[in-house]
Amino acid sequence: MKALMKDPLSLIVIGVAGQGNVVTSYLICNALVREGYLVTFGQSYPPQQRGGSVINYIRVSTEIQTSPIIPEGRADVIVAMEPVEAMRMLNQYGNPDVITMVNPRPIQAIDTTGLGVEYPSLDKIMEDIRGLSARTWVVNATEEAQKLGNAIMANVVLVGALVGSGVLPLDRKSMEPVIAERFPKAVELNMSAFDRGVELVKQ
Amino acid sequence: MKRLLSGNEALAWGAYHAGARVATAYPGTPSTEILETIARFDDIYAEWSTNEKVAMEVALGACYAGVRTIVSMKHVGLNVAADPFMAASITGVNGGLVLICADDPGTHSSQSEQDNRHYARLAKVPVLEPSDSQEAYDMMAIAFDISEQFDTLVMVRTTTRISHSKSVVDLSRSRPAPTGEVGFPRNVSKYVMLPVNARFRHPLVEERMVKLAGFAETSPLNRVESGERNLGVITSGVAYQYAREVFPDASFLKLGITHPLPRELIRRFAGQVDRLVVIEELDPFLEEGIRAMGVEVTGKDFIPLVGELSTDVVGKGAVSAGILTEPPVPPGITAVADLPKRPPLLCPGCPHTGMFFVLASMGQRLKPPDSGDNPAKKSNLIITGDIGCYTLATYPPLNAMDTTACMGASIGQALGMEKAGIDTNIVAVIGDSTFLHSGITPLVDAVYNEGKITVVILDNGTTAMTGHQEHPGTGVSAQGNKATKVELENVVRGVGVSDVRVVDAFNMKELRAAARSALASPELAVIIVRGACAVGVPQRGEPRVVDAGKCNRCDVCLLIGCPAIQTVDDKVYIDTTLCVGDICTICQQVCPQKAITPVTGETE
Repeated sequence: MKALMKDPLSLIVIGVAGQGNVVTSYLICNALVREGYLVTFGQSYPPQQRGGSVINYIRVSTEIQTSPIIPEGRADVIVAMEPVEAMRMLNQYGNPDVITMVNPRPIQAIDTTGLGVEYPSLDKIMEDIRGLSARTWVVNATEEAQKLGNAIMANVVLVGALVGSGVLPLDRKSMEPVIAERFPKAVELNMSAFDRGVELVKQ
Repeated sequence: MKRLLSGNEALAWGAYHAGARVATAYPGTPSTEILETIARFDDIYAEWSTNEKVAMEVALGACYAGVRTIVSMKHVGLNVAADPFMAASITGVNGGLVLICADDPGTHSSQSEQDNRHYARLAKVPVLEPSDSQEAYDMMAIAFDISEQFDTLVMVRTTTRISHSKSVVDLSRSRPAPTGEVGFPRNVSKYVMLPVNARFRHPLVEERMVKLAGFAETSPLNRVESGERNLGVITSGVAYQYAREVFPDASFLKLGITHPLPRELIRRFAGQVDRLVVIEELDPFLEEGIRAMGVEVTGKDFIPLVGELSTDVVGKGAVSAGILTEPPVPPGITAVADLPKRPPLLCPGCPHTGMFFVLASMGQRLKPPDSGDNPAKKSNLIITGDIGCYTLATYPPLNAMDTTACMGASIGQALGMEKAGIDTNIVAVIGDSTFLHSGITPLVDAVYNEGKITVVILDNGTTAMTGHQEHPGTGVSAQGNKATKVELENVVRGVGVSDVRVVDAFNMKELRAAARSALASPELAVIIVRGACAVGVPQRGEPRVVDAGKCNRCDVCLLIGCPAIQTVDDKVYIDTTLCVGDICTICQQVCPQKAITPVTGETE
């Protein structure tokens, strides 16, 4: 079992309900369990409905089974399917060492339809994310997934980018059986989405 | 075999490997996945019961017949099932009977947070509390053994964090072959609770608790983890995990059995430490029990009574009590404020939206985007509500719900308002699963007592809020088999309602006509609004678009509260990846300018 860059390592996977970030977490967690790591996965509520923010907490260790909630200010890695959600997590769980990976495609909130706070400018949000993170990876996951034929695979592109970045002790070999188990009818397509994600961070 | 399992999945596997033969439940967050997981096994009978009371009664019958039985529900479900639950305590069991009760500290998805360990004290049954998925799995085998050894129902209490968090579980056991024959050993003095029998059962219940307390003294589920003696922590459930992270060097008494208390073990532990604290979620259940023993202890003076605990909350409490000098977790960064929020909403294509828009329009409740006050306060229509996705219609812009109390309450509340003398129109709104759960008896009451209210049953053909479980109206069983379908309109007519209308959830004309006529009717009227839940519809039709040339920004379409309809750069726009298209078209039907069309319509 390879050492983690920090033990325990705390990751947040955030997105808007319907974007598939629970699947992102599922793939990462199960690959880590297969490799023998102790994993705790927690999530925010209520995740059932479309349109709400969905926070997943993933904590990995070689030694201890941790509690399911990441303490405030203690995320090591934030993986965000949406820029405002990345910012929301940095506000609550950020710290000077945090690594952020973000899909820069905004999803409007119903608040922005005249009922509350306006969606901020994307440039400003991306600038703030970069300013608050020790390292920022911008991964055009939705765009790349659309090129592969379906925007829904953005989450798998992001998994590829995360694995490709070397933040987790995982590689293509450890991901393939988990992706095959989750998408038995579309293994090749999802593996190509995964590979695209890996390439994006290598560029 | 090591697997990453949620607490609920682990409980299900634990029951399965303990040889459970019957499983019953009514869906409720955070308990739903227990039965969903069990239902996937072929060699166990699993059912969604009509409600928790029925689930408990079916479970009771199954255990009387000699098989190990599991019944699961959320914390407030036990309020519904309290009657047979109390009876189960008195009669005891034949095959093992385990109730899994999932509490919701933090009120993530409930009408209240209540600490159901109090129920165990009331009913005089033991409580086990797992701290992670592995314990959840392991405890189920022990729970069944205790149930059979002590002739008692056993309550396993989980909380949202335990039920929904996933951790690594070693599924070390396997399912035993069925043992013994199924059979009901007729025993009138044990199973027929006439006063003459119940009177003689009560002393047995008290004796049982004494024996269980003795068992708790030596059970490995209650264990001391020796550390430094300056601080001793007694804790249970998920609070154990948080306390471990905050006080890594302290001594711990980790209780897996939290009722009855192992008094001698607690006394010995208290004698070995300088300062004794209890860290527990919600009520001071352990703390008061320990203090009543005459042992000096603190807890709720620095750990909140309200809400969910976390490493942060326990850490801050410890600093305020002087146990720690600084929080174990340094504060994070302060960054950008005023981010747009994403409250949960009725989905694009939700079959509830149309009827709520009609009721909100008729009641003059719709809130224009820039108005400050809440027009529902001045409405000429009262809408009593119930529990389900549709409770989300409470929020602007629809403002279409005035009460929500508990499952099935809408109809009784509406009748009560009428009988109190309210002279405006009163509408009770209830979902299909909730109506079958506990809406039928109040409807009978309204028929019998000559109510004049209007009852709207929103029939989306599933139990949507908890994640699409089957129910008696769907015609499919929990294990995916074809089942006898209970037709809502037959039930409603059968109990004596003559004014019954069934309308299409996406036909605005039909909805308006039905609502007008029911409200004008001098007698009890029921409208069944039928349309499939959008999440369950796999095929999306052609999405709608806004013709900017025709749109005059009257913003009526924004008042239906569809998440697909947004404003960007001062223009109304429909997100085509969210719009469900042909099956809905509510926005197209309400647009006065006819500016909303199918996406291909533009190019014609």
